[in-house]
Amino acid sequence: MNIGKQFKEGLVTNNPVLVQLIGMCSTMAITTSFFNGLGMGLSVLIILTLSNIIISAIRKIIPDKIRIAMFIVVIACFVTCVDLSLQAFVPALSKALGVFLPLIVVNCIILGRAEAFCYKNGVLASTFDGIFQGLGYTVVLMIMSIFRELFGSGTFGAGVINGTSGVRIIPEQFPAKILTLPVGGFLCLACLIAAMQWALAKSNKKKEESK
Amino acid sequence: MNNIVIAILVLGIMGGVFGLILAIASKVFAVKTDERLPEIMEHLAGANCGGCGFAGCSDCAAHILDGSAPVNSCAPAGAENAAAIAKIMGVAMGDEEKHVAFVRCNGGTNAKKRFEYRGVHDCIGATKVAAGPLDCTYGCLGFGSCVEACKFDAMHIGPNGAALVDTEKCTNCMACAAACPRHLIDSVPYSAKVRVACSNKDKGKAAMSVCDAACIACGLCEKNCHFDAIHVVNGVAVIDYAKCKGCKICTKVCPRNAIFPIPTAEEKEKFKAAQKAAAEKKAQAAAAAAEAPKAAE
Amino acid sequence: MKLTDLFSIALGAILVNNFIFSQFLGCCPFLGVSKKLDTAVGMGIAVTFVMGLASAITWIVNEFILVKFDLLYMQTVVFILVIAALVQFIEMFLQKSMPALYTALGIYLPLITTNCAVLGVALLNIQNHYNFIESVIYGITGGLGFLLAIVLFAVVRERNVFADCPKCFEGFPIALITAGLMALSFMGFSGLQVW
Repeated sequence: MNIGKQFKEGLVTNNPVLVQLIGMCSTMAITTSFFNGLGMGLSVLIILTLSNIIISAIRKIIPDKIRIAMFIVVIACFVTCVDLSLQAFVPALSKALGVFLPLIVVNCIILGRAEAFCYKNGVLASTFDGIFQGLGYTVVLMIMSIFRELFGSGTFGAGVINGTSGVRIIPEQFPAKILTLPVGGFLCLACLIAAMQWALAKSNKKKEESK
Repeated sequence: MNNIVIAILVLGIMGGVFGLILAIASKVFAVKTDERLPEIMEHLAGANCGGCGFAGCSDCAAHILDGSAPVNSCAPAGAENAAAIAKIMGVAMGDEEKHVAFVRCNGGTNAKKRFEYRGVHDCIGATKVAAGPLDCTYGCLGFGSCVEACKFDAMHIGPNGAALVDTEKCTNCMACAAACPRHLIDSVPYSAKVRVACSNKDKGKAAMSVCDAACIACGLCEKNCHFDAIHVVNGVAVIDYAKCKGCKICTKVCPRNAIFPIPTAEEKEKFKAAQKAAAEKKAQAAAAAAEAPKAAE
Repeated sequence: MKLTDLFSIALGAILVNNFIFSQFLGCCPFLGVSKKLDTAVGMGIAVTFVMGLASAITWIVNEFILVKFDLLYMQTVVFILVIAALVQFIEMFLQKSMPALYTALGIYLPLITTNCAVLGVALLNIQNHYNFIESVIYGITGGLGFLLAIVLFAVVRERNVFADCPKCFEGFPIALITAGLMALSFMGFSGLQVW
């Protein structure tokens, strides 16, 4: 269990959104403003870590045939807890995330990591895996939401900073509103994945050449 | 407290009910699967290439199991696996010689282009645009639909632009043949030393004008073959591998170099010289035979 | 609840608020299963079928169990359990009684359990306070919208394979850009102000 390696994998080489290509629904839907993206990312991080811990703790006693159902039940419990907490403490975020918060239950990232990692590894490794994969997801969400908010509506921190209108960085008539629409989500994610593929190809080429 | 109890009860009862329904359903709707099916599937190539003609390996296994497909349906799996399947099914197996795919065209840069094609790089698409960018309506377009279809990395576009099979990797699954819109790909024995690399059914000038390597149906190969193994059928030479001994005389007499392996220039010269010498010897013998009776008289 | 209400829900689900291009629900199978047209059609039909059934059953469970016992906070857990059990049941039922349909659609059914669209439509029905008929209509037409989206996308993606593309954009990025442009075209329907 190499923490440095897991960190690198979670953030870069095995990034859930950019490399494993899972969990894209929420990535594109939520990232219209910075704090939405941050809130969603942190929620997924918390749920992922907690469910990783529990699932790897009980992995020896789950019968193989019903394991997916058991994973879903555990994840659903944590999602309900986080959902209710957000509704109570940060209702604005809960409203902004809408139906995507309960949909974290079927987020491919959480189920995928449970199946691929926690079922075969110990509690400590799974904890770190959850933290780092969640961190990778959150970083991607933040990059996308900063870009989309800045060039889509010209503000930063809408919904939280400065009342609800956020800090205006680009004057009103310039931003490309289309970036905040679903089209923008698809295009932004496409460019990010392309950038990641280019970076990975380049580093692979360097490795090949140095061999 | 009441709330918690109710919650636990409701969820517990729901879970129990669902579990019960599913358990009953799994018994009621149980489908009996023959345990030979996964065993047979293990001996198939597993590439889902579709070469057997069925929709994937599981479909092929199902057909083998119910007897509607022969035990050697899966060519890529090889003879050993076919024998294993035969054993599982409890049938005897015939002896099969290894076959490989062969593209009956050596056009490529030899073939004349009719127009500059800038469309989808796909043979099927290219064929639909005014019957293809080559003058020869039978030949290989070189856009690689067969390369895409091959799951074993055995098909590539050769150095002259026509498709070429790597006989070591080819498993004879014939997925390439299904993909070729001009039906150029055949199955030939692996041991076959001579192969006709043309499918042009035109004769003489018509064939000559479209491609430098086209078969012009002159019949020289048929005339020179000592084993009656090659014939001109429908304007193109065809080899009967039951009779072909691989002597390669046809490759040397072919004026268009349409038969593989293409002889080098000096081989051809040697052959021509040998032919001439044999013809002279024959003429001398004929002259001697003509004189002998005269002398006897 | 007039027929025009139902029609506006249906039209909304298929065109105006298409589940993929507007609401982003169900993107993972949309991008994963759309490489060939026949698999896309199979997936679309399976999703439509499951969404309709799931809408119906989750609405009934919500109305007669969760509301009755004041357990609305258990919605997520209960709904996902219902959907998982339902999909398992459908799979077994199909395998036995309609084997032809099972060979065509069966492999997609386990994928649908974790499809955001199915759970999403169940939750949206409750959020929008639909009654039973409206929920079922929303579920079925939402599935039809998914089918429309995935079929259109598969057709374009099959052609994309032959086109030249910058190396780093090959695969998912160019597919996402295609989806984005299709989402842009579907935006044109937002002018359909129904009733």
